Amino acid sequence: MLPAAAVFHFPWEINSGVVQDGASVRTFGRLVSYQPEESRATLSAQHASKEHNVIIRTMFVEPFNPIIGAQYIVLGETENAEEVGVMVLARVLNCVDGVNIALLQKAINEQRSFFKERECKQGDVAWPESAT
Amino acid sequence: MQAATMDPVEEPPSILWGLDPIFSAFARLYVRDILQMTESTQVPGIYFYKSHPIYKVDVLGTVVYKREREDFFCYGVDDGTGVINCLCWKNDLLKEEEDPGKSTGKHSDVSYGNFNPVAELKKLKQAQQKRCRLEIGEVLRVRGPVKTSRQQREIMASTYYKVNDPVMTAQIAWMMEVPQLYRECYDKPLQLQCSATGDSAVSTLSKAVNIIKDFFKQRSVTKFRPYDIQDLLQPLIYSQAQTASEDQEPVAGPSSCQQLRQLLKKVLDILQDEGVIYRKVKSQDEVYHVTAQDKDLLLVVKDIIREDSKREKYAEKGCHILHILSAARQRHSLNISKAALEQVLKFLECSSDIVSTSDTHYTMF
Repeated sequence: MLPAAAVFHFPWEINSGVVQDGASVRTFGRLVSYQPEESRATLSAQHASKEHNVIIRTMFVEPFNPIIGAQYIVLGETENAEEVGVMVLARVLNCVDGVNIALLQKAINEQRSFFKERECKQGDVAWPESAT
Repeated sequence: MQAATMDPVEEPPSILWGLDPIFSAFARLYVRDILQMTESTQVPGIYFYKSHPIYKVDVLGTVVYKREREDFFCYGVDDGTGVINCLCWKNDLLKEEEDPGKSTGKHSDVSYGNFNPVAELKKLKQAQQKRCRLEIGEVLRVRGPVKTSRQQREIMASTYYKVNDPVMTAQIAWMMEVPQLYRECYDKPLQLQCSATGDSAVSTLSKAVNIIKDFFKQRSVTKFRPYDIQDLLQPLIYSQAQTASEDQEPVAGPSSCQQLRQLLKKVLDILQDEGVIYRKVKSQDEVYHVTAQDKDLLLVVKDIIREDSKREKYAEKGCHILHILSAARQRHSLNISKAALEQVLKFLECSSDIVSTSDTHYTMF
């Protein structure tokens, strides 16, 4: 069976409650820490002069080559853990160091505004929208 | 997963599908839209996005699922809006690689300097194989027709390859481009009004001109009289009469015979204006020559250019078209129009008999 589509989210949205528990997401961030014994990594991104962390569970993508400080793209399901808040259970974790983050954000927004525009036009008929 | 089928009334008639440029293109749709397109009730295997008929698509996304069979790979591709199965056939190359006994052939390594074609070819093949075998998390580009098998939409890849995208340039470019494509093409209804229900008199005329031109080409006609080709236009008059009578009771008008003659006259006028045909001698006997097939005329024009390009006056630039025209009128026929001469020159240039040095000068080597 195919997994659900992983919709792009900004790292600062993952913990903000916009994303439903168990939803498939993809997001990005700088790898700031990795604890192999716990299979846990942390991606971090700056937004509005605040540092936002996303905890990644890496058991499905191990072994991987952790480059601390590099940009990563993660794709997986969110999971609400009591102690740490929302975590992403990674299915894909790719190093994309050198990516133009500003352009990527623009592309994500571009795509979102397109879907929003389309929804508005079609009114209540239309494409069942999963949370974008 | 699929939306209900579209009301057949809403579906554009299949005869018009080919007129939609999106139909013959690989549409770069979001996977979500590919999964939700309605299948045609007229022809299974054709889908509709809005009113656009679609049967092949172009997708870029992350591989999130993979299964390998003897003959094909099955990749689940996720573009952020949906996940779709892509059936990617292995080519012979990829199957060959699986039994390594074959690949150690005893090619005598003929090397040209440091370049060894056999080794290079092997490298090329390896590179190609690498691009066909993907792991989860890698980026795949797939083009091919959409199929529905066991109630599941999938793409039958006609081409597929791994995209090397270490800093996401390809993915970002794709994300920026696709919304534009939607706004400019996919979300716009097809406008056919002007051509489909345009002025039928005009389109009949252009149809007639094309019929005659095709006839000249197929039969290599050199000369003809109007009544020789009159019958070719007969079907057009009939179809015109039929469409008219569906709309209203036939009113007293020109008989079909008269219509035919009028149409033929118009066609001949157009062809003469274009220079496709000309009359060598204007007499009672209406004989038309097909310009490009008139061997005498071609010879005359060739002679003029050959002789005159040698003259000092024309040696540098070649002969001006108006000079050739006046010479041809003197030697061949007074009735040659400039358009007809242009046809001749075009024909001679296509067969490399002459060379144009500017858009009005011609020479010969």
